[in-house]
Amino acid sequence: MREMISELSAKLHSGEMSSVELTKEYIKAIEEANPRINAYVHTTFDYALEGAEIADKLLKQGNASALCGIPMALKDNICTDGLLTTCCSKILDGFKPYYDAAVWEKLKAQGAVLLGKANMDEFAMGSTSESSCYGAPLNPRNLDHVTGGSSGGSAAAVCANMAAYALGSDTGGSVRQPASFCGIVGLKPTYGAVSRYGLIAYGSSLDQIGPLTYSVKDAAVVFDAIKGVDRRDQTSKAFDYSSILKSLNQDIKGKRIGVAEEFFEGIDPDMKTQIYEGIKLFEKNGAEIVNIKLPALKLALPVYYIIACAEASSNLGRYDGIRYGYRTDSYDSIDDMIYKTRSKGFGDEVKRRIMLGTYVLSSGYYDAYYKKAIVIREEINREFNDIFEKCDVLIAPTAPNTAFSLNFKGASPVEMYLSDICTVPINIAGIPSISVPCGKDAKGLPIGMQIIGKKFDEATILNMAYFYEQNSEDKVGIYEGGVRI
Amino acid sequence: MAESVIIERRLKMAVTKIEIEKLAKLARLRFSDEELEKFAGEFDEIIAFADTINQSVEGGTDEIRSVGSQLISFEELREDEVIPSLPNEKIVSNVEDKDGFFSVRRSKK
Repeated sequence: MREMISELSAKLHSGEMSSVELTKEYIKAIEEANPRINAYVHTTFDYALEGAEIADKLLKQGNASALCGIPMALKDNICTDGLLTTCCSKILDGFKPYYDAAVWEKLKAQGAVLLGKANMDEFAMGSTSESSCYGAPLNPRNLDHVTGGSSGGSAAAVCANMAAYALGSDTGGSVRQPASFCGIVGLKPTYGAVSRYGLIAYGSSLDQIGPLTYSVKDAAVVFDAIKGVDRRDQTSKAFDYSSILKSLNQDIKGKRIGVAEEFFEGIDPDMKTQIYEGIKLFEKNGAEIVNIKLPALKLALPVYYIIACAEASSNLGRYDGIRYGYRTDSYDSIDDMIYKTRSKGFGDEVKRRIMLGTYVLSSGYYDAYYKKAIVIREEINREFNDIFEKCDVLIAPTAPNTAFSLNFKGASPVEMYLSDICTVPINIAGIPSISVPCGKDAKGLPIGMQIIGKKFDEATILNMAYFYEQNSEDKVGIYEGGVRI
Repeated sequence: MAESVIIERRLKMAVTKIEIEKLAKLARLRFSDEELEKFAGEFDEIIAFADTINQSVEGGTDEIRSVGSQLISFEELREDEVIPSLPNEKIVSNVEDKDGFFSVRRSKK
């Protein structure tokens, strides 16, 4: 059996084991499996053991939090004071931030233990994590396949039990899709529910930090710990959440589940069957199914890429080699230095997206692309608002496919963009969504079911996911390996 | 630019190397000839993909209403307040500094 956070926490609180002992088990598991899986790109074992000692003191004092002493991982785009944070990009080579991201500040104050920084697509731009400058992480479920992305290292670390949980970031599906590919749980909270302070920006109006966990209850514990308004993130909101963990009761009677055919167009038939079986399970247990339409959904992909890339081209303008990270060795003027640093420091996908962003913001094209995308974004929001008048949640696949095989060379950049169809509309609308394992395909690869909710209604989607997790027979199975206590 | 003009333009011609070089300059990026060749093909496909928003909206660009994003409310701005900034030695800790300033090598021009 793999232990959940609550079980590990009970052992630490009762004194059955110490956080230092637990942390050493995780370090052992990472040393054994990481050379194969490549989930971590920077390990912080000394820092982890120091953190574990502090946690043990807090535990002895009593009143320690549920996450006190529990070892975890952060995606490599979440800033940690004095510890490497590189976005898996050459351009941030050697970068050590001088402050903690708000989420790490919160977790650290609660006694969390940081094992290291997790692999990801360069600047979170990708769906396979293969654009990492450190090489791709491998899917622990099947090492010939990708983890998904961009939070692929976070997903692999949790799946292979090299971390009790991890944080990732989700701009267009980057928490949910790798969670789906690796057969774990991934939550993208409402835009504004979790502070983005210290998250290295990609598409600021879409980015949101979320947990990747082994179970739905674990996702609730971590979300409860990281949510909240922060004066340093002007888009964060003071929403009065009560404890979501305490509200999980599996009561789904009378819940109205929206199903939009548009989400199922072109998806793998095995997956469609599995997700519909899942929907039936809810129906059998008292939920009501509402067929709905989302005509603007087909526009979500181009709208997403236009907005995300426009914001990225602006956000990534700061990498000039002057203040941090990589700087070219040879240059004959300050301009030459900036050009060479950026051209050598960024990888191909990042350059493609900066170029697209520059194009849609440039004179003559701004109205036709960027401004129009903003207008359609409003239309998509309106459609979602109308839908949530008629239903409590929406159910959809997390991705149109299971994990791609490694080095999947057949696909062009645009073909890869199309694989984000199920997740990007949720970021455009700023609403919360959770991916929960939903059986396997014919090749034995995990399938993810996405449960989408109203703004700030994480409680409902987590409760629906909890019901499904506890009552479905389509178990993905436990990954054999990693920490066993 | 009117919608029809854009679609017509897309049908007629690919994004030229000259256009890409202009964009690269705006983005402070440089491409070798070989990279430019590969990139031009990919970029064409990417722009055609972005263009799908133009084909699908009734009214076209001329009728676009000017709306602000609802995601950010300007009514909820916080008061300005003075708080301590990060210490200088931390700010320059990632590069070789000169007396607390960021420094680059002297260049010819």
